[in-house]
Amino acid sequence: MSVKKELTCVRCPNGCTITVELDENGKILVDAEGKLAIGKEVACKMGDEWAKQEIENPMRTIASSIPVENGDSLMVSVRTDRPIPLAKIFAVMDEIRKKTLKAPIVINDVIIANPAGCDTDIIATRDVAKAG
Amino acid sequence: MNSKYEVLIIGGGVVGCAIARELSKYSVKAALIEKEADVSMGASCRNSGVCHAGFKYAPGSMRAFVAVKGNAMMDDLCRDLKVKLKRIGKLTVALDREDEPTLHKMKENGDANGVPGVRVIYQDEMRKIQPGVEGVAALHSPTSAIVSPYNLTIGLAENALANGVNFHLGQEVTAIEHQADGDWLVRAASGDTFSAKVIINAAGLFAAEVCKMAGINEYRIYPCRGEYYILDKRLDGTLKCLIYPAPKKHAAGWGTHLTPTVDGNILIGPTAEYLDDPEDFACTAEIMAQLRREGQMLLPAMRGTDFIRNFAGSRAKQTPPEVGGNADFVIEDRKDHKGFINLVGIESPGLTSAPAIADMVSGMVKNHITLTPDPAFNPVRPGMVDFFEELSPEEKADLIAQDPNYGEIICRCEKITKREVLDAIQNPLGARTLVSIKYRGRASMGRCQGGFCIPRIVRLMRDEFGWKPEDFLKRGKTSPMFVGNMRPKGGAA
Amino acid sequence: MSDKKTIPTIQRDVVVIGGGPAGLAAAIAVKEAGCDDVLLVERDRVLGGILNQCIHDGFGLHIFKEALSGPEYAARYIKQFREKNIDVMENAIVLSLTKDRVVEVSTRGKLQYIQAKAVILAMGCRERTRGAISIPGHRPSGVFTAGAAQCLMNLENIMVGKSVCVLGSGDIGLIMARRMTLEGAKVQAVFELLPYSSGLPRNIQQCLNDYDIPLFLSTTVTDIAGRSGRLEGVKVAQVDENRAPIASTERFVPCDTLLLSVGLIPENELTRQAGADMDPITGGAIVDDTFMTSVPGIFSCGNVLHVHDLVDWVSVESEQAGKFAAAYAKEGYKAAANRIQVKPGDGIRYTLPQSVSGEDDFILSMRVTEPGRNRRVVVKNGDKIIRKKEVRLHPAEMIRIKVGKDVASGGNAMEVSVE
Repeated sequence: MSVKKELTCVRCPNGCTITVELDENGKILVDAEGKLAIGKEVACKMGDEWAKQEIENPMRTIASSIPVENGDSLMVSVRTDRPIPLAKIFAVMDEIRKKTLKAPIVINDVIIANPAGCDTDIIATRDVAKAG
Repeated sequence: MNSKYEVLIIGGGVVGCAIARELSKYSVKAALIEKEADVSMGASCRNSGVCHAGFKYAPGSMRAFVAVKGNAMMDDLCRDLKVKLKRIGKLTVALDREDEPTLHKMKENGDANGVPGVRVIYQDEMRKIQPGVEGVAALHSPTSAIVSPYNLTIGLAENALANGVNFHLGQEVTAIEHQADGDWLVRAASGDTFSAKVIINAAGLFAAEVCKMAGINEYRIYPCRGEYYILDKRLDGTLKCLIYPAPKKHAAGWGTHLTPTVDGNILIGPTAEYLDDPEDFACTAEIMAQLRREGQMLLPAMRGTDFIRNFAGSRAKQTPPEVGGNADFVIEDRKDHKGFINLVGIESPGLTSAPAIADMVSGMVKNHITLTPDPAFNPVRPGMVDFFEELSPEEKADLIAQDPNYGEIICRCEKITKREVLDAIQNPLGARTLVSIKYRGRASMGRCQGGFCIPRIVRLMRDEFGWKPEDFLKRGKTSPMFVGNMRPKGGAA
Repeated sequence: MSDKKTIPTIQRDVVVIGGGPAGLAAAIAVKEAGCDDVLLVERDRVLGGILNQCIHDGFGLHIFKEALSGPEYAARYIKQFREKNIDVMENAIVLSLTKDRVVEVSTRGKLQYIQAKAVILAMGCRERTRGAISIPGHRPSGVFTAGAAQCLMNLENIMVGKSVCVLGSGDIGLIMARRMTLEGAKVQAVFELLPYSSGLPRNIQQCLNDYDIPLFLSTTVTDIAGRSGRLEGVKVAQVDENRAPIASTERFVPCDTLLLSVGLIPENELTRQAGADMDPITGGAIVDDTFMTSVPGIFSCGNVLHVHDLVDWVSVESEQAGKFAAAYAKEGYKAAANRIQVKPGDGIRYTLPQSVSGEDDFILSMRVTEPGRNRRVVVKNGDKIIRKKEVRLHPAEMIRIKVGKDVASGGNAMEVSVE
């Protein structure tokens, strides 16, 4: 028995609804060309790939802020530069939460490499100059 | 710790602060104690801000006497204290012929009470004062005025402080004892005690409780809540004067009406609802809907986007709901409790009457101690009457050139400058809550309700005064704004 | 006061008010159009506006084909802005604006008038508050607009609460529900008055569903408890089809924080002061296809004109406004030969611009009144259908339709409707 499942794609703000069909083992059903068996509302090519990933191991990005000492701002904003497994988010947050930085910080600086063993870096998303 | 005074005032509302300021004219060791973190936190910040002419009160009554006298004292007082007062006058409107006799009765009352210039006028003249106003006739009272009730209270308190009266904020009275030496001993929840030869009960909604602590059991206060809407300044100028409906018999208040404020907002309200809890200042769905409905009828130009905020206050009534109406003010020097000066049931027109009540009370204090005028008394409070935003561009340019902090705006809706916010924070009474800053500097009082300026005020307090997130209180200790730093290591100044 | 200062007046071709995404893109476009004398006035210490506090990603997918965070998106424009050496006054506030384009600017130390040939309004929007939506109850601490809480957390390192309810499913509310969860708060629920979410579907997924935060539709806050000072909880109830709470469904949810994400209001006090005609639906000025308001030489773009769903469209629109403002500053007012009114029809809440000349291609921006799938938006010029577009309809999403001048010219009234 296969079941249908509706997903909301989070890759872009369009937020397309993707309907997928899963077999009895929860595996996603695809046609001979590897396309989703059903699901006609996908607005772009990324939808198929994303839906398969979402069923197997949902991936997400996160953002946060880290305190900065001696900076012209109190905090520097950061984010993951590649998606991480949804299940790892709190482990990654724990590493972010432990961090305090010193100015100066430049946008795109790697703040934490491979947090919680994930294939991603936590990067700065703004500059913070030294205070004064 | 015990603090010893000659006179101790209980209650930091407009009446208590007016008494403090009156006593500060004399060489007397006086203090005021207040349970909240600032003065003007009860009925004095929760009313229409109207200085009444005094035509409504029965001739010969205490209310008539203190209202008419207080109204006449207001110009000099507000000038000295740098408090805005606008003598815009009032039309008390008879919507139909049936209400017209009420106007003539009030006119007779007004004349008997010595209210200047009260006249019954008809449509042509009414519409010259307020274009488009409904009704067949109106009582015009030119001395009716609007004043900022909290700015008046704060002004009185700051001037009293500058002239030597002590203010003990955050001290809630729990017990009052008559000591063997004839002095009163007042105990506070903090454990501190205050002794004084004369104590003055100006506790407003809690006046009957303070009476009981002193062994006076004949009074009871029936709190009567009134709810309001505050409207956007977009409608400023719509009302040229105060417009009230002619009062109906047994009504607890004036009925819903529109009141312009000195700062350019319009208030809709107040309603009247008897409650047991004197400090239940919640607004309720039904009454809010009623105010929106009635407000729309009274002010067709009003739109949904004009609502800024709601508030409520309670009247300290002596009359129970089944009786309605108002009882006269009690202002007495208790013969049976020597040195206990008692003020009970000071509801409307308490704001108007405060200076006259203070004058009467200082007369009563003279029954117990000698009051010698203090030659150093300075009646004038420093500062400006107007906010920066209300000045001409040339005056603004001058101020900015003198102090760059006038050039930076913290509260964008009310255009309140950094200088004004700093002044509000560094107020002489040492009140440090966000509400204290709001009442003094108007920051966060506008249409965005602090969405823009609260983070800026937070930054200012942190950078200039080293505040931590936990130090930010809305009204007092029980209303913390924040939990703390999001990250423990950051946030230090 | 004696010895009055005379207030200096300086002349500028174009003054841009606001240095968020709209003002930055507009100022850059002015310069690119060959108008060098442009000044941007920003009230904050830094450029970028609200983007600085929007640290989550998802910005720039249309313009940069990347999922940037708000600060990164802003940084790209700030870089261009700096490279073009555009004049800027930071920490400066416009106190007044006249219909003759005199801008009164206050800075630390100086008040001055700027006489501009053209002014671009790019002040953005503010959040609707508790007072604006008349929530009954006490007035304790702990009630914040979502954006104010976002600013306090992301920029000021302040945790506003530990146990949170969110009223309104606007995107900022959803983003903050996730943000507070990530920082260790317990988000009890999101309540939405409407029968559908006002936020983007992807944010329902990645901000609520991912964290098991329930979303209750057709539900609102009916009372706020907190007599003693701090928020103690909220009463919520389902609403009927007239959005009136159903008393029998009322329940109490304990919490110490209520975040409001109940709509944005374009910040048009200066626009009104200058005397521009306003659109009561958008809350912004009425503009033509050059983004000029009814006051000649005063242009409007970005969220001060109408609230956008994506910042990318703010930038695109503001570039257009900048281009036309530069032309105005150079060439002065040229009245269009024809003025075609554009009216929203069935199913459309508003369209923008409200009128077009038909002399150029233009983009019609619009929002629909209710959600729907597989529907078509139809643009008619008089009785003639000139454009059809198949779209998924959601009131949270702005629809943009390009209309060519070939089909737009000639008529005198266009209507946009859903079929």
